[in-house]
Amino acid sequence: MKRFYPRNGRVILHVDMNSFYASVEIAHNPSLKGLPLAIAGQPEERKGIIVTCSYEARAFGIKTTMPVWQAKRLCPHLVILPPDFNKYRQASAYMFQLLREYTPLVEPVSIDEGYMDITESYSLGKPIDIARKIQARLLQELKLPSSIGIAPNKFLAKMASNMQKPLGLTVLRKREVPSVLWPKPVIEMHGIGRKTADKLALMGISTIGDLAAIDNYSIRQQLGIRGVRLKEYANGEDRRKVDPKAAEEFKSVGQSMTLPKDETKQQELLKVLQQLADRTAARLKRKGVLGSTVTLTIRYKDWHTITRTKRLTKPVEQAAHIWAAAKALLLTHWNGNGVRLLGITVQDIVEREQADIQLDLFSYEEEAKKGALNELIDGIRQKHGEDIIHKGVHSHQKGRPKKGKRPDGQLE
Amino acid sequence: MKFSIQKDRFAQSVQDVLKAISSRTTIPILTGIKIDVTEEGVKLTGSDSDISIESFIPQEEEGKILAEIEQPGSIVLNARFFNEIVKKLPLDRIEIEVMNSFQTVIRSGQSEFNLNGLDPEEYPHLPQIEEREVFKMPTDLLKTIIRQTVFAVSASETRPILTGVNWRMEDGRLVCIATDSHRLAMRKAAVETDSDAEYNVVIPGKSLNELSKILDDTKEPVEIVITDSQVLFRAKHLLFYSRLLEGNYPDTSRLIPTESKTKLELNTKEFLQAIDRASLLAREERNNVVKLSVIDQDTIEISSNSPEIGKVTEQVKSRSVEGDELRISFSAKYMMDALKALDGTEINVQFTGAMKPFIIRPEQDDSTLQLILPVRTY
Repeated sequence: MKRFYPRNGRVILHVDMNSFYASVEIAHNPSLKGLPLAIAGQPEERKGIIVTCSYEARAFGIKTTMPVWQAKRLCPHLVILPPDFNKYRQASAYMFQLLREYTPLVEPVSIDEGYMDITESYSLGKPIDIARKIQARLLQELKLPSSIGIAPNKFLAKMASNMQKPLGLTVLRKREVPSVLWPKPVIEMHGIGRKTADKLALMGISTIGDLAAIDNYSIRQQLGIRGVRLKEYANGEDRRKVDPKAAEEFKSVGQSMTLPKDETKQQELLKVLQQLADRTAARLKRKGVLGSTVTLTIRYKDWHTITRTKRLTKPVEQAAHIWAAAKALLLTHWNGNGVRLLGITVQDIVEREQADIQLDLFSYEEEAKKGALNELIDGIRQKHGEDIIHKGVHSHQKGRPKKGKRPDGQLE
Repeated sequence: MKFSIQKDRFAQSVQDVLKAISSRTTIPILTGIKIDVTEEGVKLTGSDSDISIESFIPQEEEGKILAEIEQPGSIVLNARFFNEIVKKLPLDRIEIEVMNSFQTVIRSGQSEFNLNGLDPEEYPHLPQIEEREVFKMPTDLLKTIIRQTVFAVSASETRPILTGVNWRMEDGRLVCIATDSHRLAMRKAAVETDSDAEYNVVIPGKSLNELSKILDDTKEPVEIVITDSQVLFRAKHLLFYSRLLEGNYPDTSRLIPTESKTKLELNTKEFLQAIDRASLLAREERNNVVKLSVIDQDTIEISSNSPEIGKVTEQVKSRSVEGDELRISFSAKYMMDALKALDGTEINVQFTGAMKPFIIRPEQDDSTLQLILPVRTY
């Protein structure tokens, strides 16, 4: 079997579940099979927005982020379900468990996709046969359809899995890059969004082939080191390893809140942010960890979601530090449109015992005092619940906070 | 404009003014070098609007003819190309001539370049600095002051004022302070001055770094003029202008401890080398933290522990240990930076507790001080 594997290179699979939430719902309730089905976010709180939908629904032109009323107009008999994240997390866990039967080198990327490095799995069969077997088992045992890309690296595997949906099985070899990838518009490349595509367009780059041919100097001028990496991807080069621990390193602590109305007042948003910072700090403390990057999630009323990250010079645990970083991010990146949801996530987590904190000349004296007050508040919260006490600034409650991971991680 | 000039001297001047020129400027003409030719000699100017540098080559110096001026005039030439061209010309003599519409011919031996120049009238005027009070210090002292302070400025723009060095002049004495809020460097020096003017300004760290690179280690005096928004350093045949940072520099004087609870006397070199060794294993970690513990009357221990790599301990002799027992952690990098900046073979380290800043000074020398904030480990 070894002869079907490259002598020097690697064999990487990208497994991408097809319309995951909808598929999980169908697996739980087979009578939904074949019907146009959509999962709509929080229909009880606001006019629903489609989070994901089945391929049958897509055939009617229904798309993610579309409001329910619009979807209903396209397809009056559309079946709409609220999201059930517990169900999805459970299904996700089963899915990764199945993947790990083939290699320990499985790197989850999100709830419904992951990379596998099967270079050393030659005793199990040819790469294409392993992929076919995985796809068949996911469908039989978990009733979940998937698309799998097979390639010599992560980037190509990801591009390959995207080429055929649902139930695709695509091999993308490096030598096929010029004929398969280069004619495509750059926006179809993994890692390139609207904004980057616009910047590239200004440089006269419209296809992946254009990007592959650009000189390093100009791409670096425009996009920095990321640009150079994107150019390498466009040439089919990607040296990133499949790292089973990557997901753990991205462990994060955070809070998000769906606002009761589309909020356009900066002051109100800052109040919400203060509450989120307080709660995030409380959770960090309870877990005994500190984090050194703060990510702000803003979801606009059109469901468009942005996340912006600020790297701090030292790991923090105090609400004031988290709040300061989140506030700076909001003031820089909020475009003034109505906001539906705000979230704060603290990443780059270290255990408190392992965290070294560089003291600051201008704050070392106050640090001691503040430390005492924060401990008092946390003590009360632990005993009586998180909402029992807030710092004097903004005590009245708005909206209901939701615990959990970054909200965008739950989107398909 | 037409002149010929000695190549090495000219190339050096081009190099010097190039330090002020940035390829990323919003004013396109500032990517150029301005050349002004008069009967007295050749003046080169480079600027990025924050820093401006003027270098002058006299027509004649100590009986030696450096430049032959045929026709005075001015031109602006692309700095990057011009610098490369001048460096690579074949002979010791270069001839430069501006033809019509700013076409410039550069000749040396058999080589001839034609460069498209820019209109010198478009080049911005350098800051006008009124000749007010001037103070002087030897060039090598100025360089030392810069070396001992500028490394401690903040690299982050979160508090822009901390990216500069605070220069305060009181009673004919100059006090220079830089801090990134994790460590602080201070240097005091007497300066020559006729006036009793007092200043309190902040000079961008970047400007001082560039200035230091251009100046030679000589005893020749540098004249310094400070205005509300600019500082001018004037050395022989060289003018260096820098914008000052706006805003008030934080008052750090009350943050520098005056008493001490534990006092060590150490040999600078031995201590530096011990810290360097201890940091070998800590370097991979985020903060590069080492720990210092007082063992007894004449011994301290430097240690570092990286759970995944291993640990290191080393005992260092101290000429004297006074006061309380102590265990303190700090960044090895900050300590090494500070020790390298200090002159003197013996140093004093004074602590007031494991969570308080500590200071390092050369023995018998009050003119310099380095302060470091410790790292809190849980």
